[in-house]
Amino acid sequence: MTMELFVVFLASSVRLAIPLLFAATGEYVSERAGIVNMSVEGMMLTGAFGGALGTAMTGSPYFGLLFAVVIVLPVALLQSVLTNTLRANQVVTGIGINILVLGLTTLGYRQFFGNRSREMITGFNAWSPPFLGDLPVIGPIFHQAGLAYLAVAIIIALAWFMSRTGAGVALRAAGEDPHAVAISGVPVITLRHGAVLFTGLMAALGGAFLSIAEIHTFTEGMTRGAGYLAIVAVIFGNWKIWRIVLACLLFGAATALQFQLPAIGVQLPNALLIMMPYLLALLAVAGLVGRQIAPRALAQPFWK
Amino acid sequence: MTDIPYQLPGIPSAAYSDILGRIAIPVIAVVAAFLVGLVAVMAMGVPLDRAVSAFINGAFGSAYSISASLNRSISLALVGIGFVIAARAGLTNVGGEGQIAMGGVFATALCLAPGIAELPFGLSFIIPLVGGAIAGGVWGAIAGFLKVRAGANEVITTLLLSFIAIWLLYWSVQSENLLRQPMTSSATLPESLSIPASTQVPLLTGSYTSPVTWGLPLTIVIAIAAAIILSRSVFGFNLKAIGFNPVAAARAGIAVGAGVVTALFVAGALGGLAGALMLQGEQYSLKAGFSSNYGFDGLVVGLLARNSITGVIAGAVLFGFMRSGGISMEMMASVPSALVGIIQGLIVVSIAGAAYFLDRRSAR
Repeated sequence: MTMELFVVFLASSVRLAIPLLFAATGEYVSERAGIVNMSVEGMMLTGAFGGALGTAMTGSPYFGLLFAVVIVLPVALLQSVLTNTLRANQVVTGIGINILVLGLTTLGYRQFFGNRSREMITGFNAWSPPFLGDLPVIGPIFHQAGLAYLAVAIIIALAWFMSRTGAGVALRAAGEDPHAVAISGVPVITLRHGAVLFTGLMAALGGAFLSIAEIHTFTEGMTRGAGYLAIVAVIFGNWKIWRIVLACLLFGAATALQFQLPAIGVQLPNALLIMMPYLLALLAVAGLVGRQIAPRALAQPFWK
Repeated sequence: MTDIPYQLPGIPSAAYSDILGRIAIPVIAVVAAFLVGLVAVMAMGVPLDRAVSAFINGAFGSAYSISASLNRSISLALVGIGFVIAARAGLTNVGGEGQIAMGGVFATALCLAPGIAELPFGLSFIIPLVGGAIAGGVWGAIAGFLKVRAGANEVITTLLLSFIAIWLLYWSVQSENLLRQPMTSSATLPESLSIPASTQVPLLTGSYTSPVTWGLPLTIVIAIAAAIILSRSVFGFNLKAIGFNPVAAARAGIAVGAGVVTALFVAGALGGLAGALMLQGEQYSLKAGFSSNYGFDGLVVGLLARNSITGVIAGAVLFGFMRSGGISMEMMASVPSALVGIIQGLIVVSIAGAAYFLDRRSAR
């Protein structure tokens, strides 16, 4: 592989990792607070749909992005109320929401896009930051949609928030020992509501990235498991933010390889590359790659 | 990873809330969700009577449609029964989708294997069924083994194993070295050869006008056996003990590790059997997307049944007939079958949410 091809590969790895980065860091916050959202898949799908619809209606991808967030919030709120207020089973409500949202977006797509389903929507163009983009050889890696830089900013801010602020510590504690948190006077349920809504916001951005910045249209069920892959990234990242970021980049690289390997004449079954993230995560939880430590109260409803 | 105790709904409580939970709430949820569906049909401007009659025709309008619906219900019921068996031991099997896929792959391989089709006494279709069940069972048992050995949460491992199985299936129909039919032209589809007639599960009536297979009586027998084993056998009692308190069960001399692996093996085997039946009784060739969400729907059926086999049957029949009705509605009344997804999603979400009002006392 020439250097040039390698840089193209790195750039597309990063580009393919961005939706995952958004969704996985969002899901990370929920899981640290003790909640598994299987519905992150449905939230991403809704975000992709909202992004495409908003952009198609107004011609502005910025409005599309806003619309994606607005339309995902009720989905996140539904998950949050089911999980935190009604203490429903997190796995089943998440899957239920995914079934529901797949139906709703498919129906909505046929209603709104029906006749012009093949039209492309205006999207975000890739942008090169000053200095970094001008670097020799590796410059093209930084040629990404502006949303990618938003993701970086959010992740840095989030890493600081989770480790350095009182609210961040309380949030992490809510996933380990919610009763201790409640006794110290912090409202666990409110924290957890906030965490799920944040997951919704991030999943919306990730989904909107798919439809607005990457594919430039919406297709039925277009996330095709990206949300589940985000959950897998959280697991493989051992519930630590920087390892999750690395996991997303690794998964992005595995996807990029599917397109790169045939170009350089290597024949490897596609399925093997697509399967790789799940296989790696399975090895990780099996204890074959380091030790995984999940938040202790993960997936348990909190009763005062 | 440390073990995560998983809170399942369905801890038996007072008789009154049992009746409410098992019958009233699901009925209300189903009726309300269908009403929402009707409103959506009207909002789309489709004449209501046309949509409803298309749905009814597709679901149970003829012997053929009833048979097709029942064949769908069988797969959902088998996955659901497996879910309930694993749940009895406190295990949440999210892996139905992958267990169906593995069952389908191995059943296909056996059906197409040389010599199998010529076997006498029905062995030509029984061996692939058994092979599919074992493949699904092994896939489930891996999660059990990882839980016992490494403490890996089975919700996570069964989900991961599902995705791996789905892509293994995709691989096997993409590669000529595996199950893909020989490429005669560039238009050769990425799917397996059709399985020989002798490996297909016979039809109950013998006629393609009502193509319900012998899978139906088999599933009924399995359901009855599961209900008896869960409530009357030592194995069922052991599972229950493990589910309530694995430490206490171990102290009482129950082999907890073996119980966990066996429970997930049985759950997986029923998923694998569902996959083999889908292949040998309905689809006759393996394609990508073979499992088409029956695993997730079956899981939902199992969970909503609140640990009752009768509940699984009711849910499987409902979801099976809804699938058929939805497909027919799309073809005959041009109402997207996505509407059925919306109705199903609403049913799942509202029943799961309503569990709060039933579990409040027992969970405290």
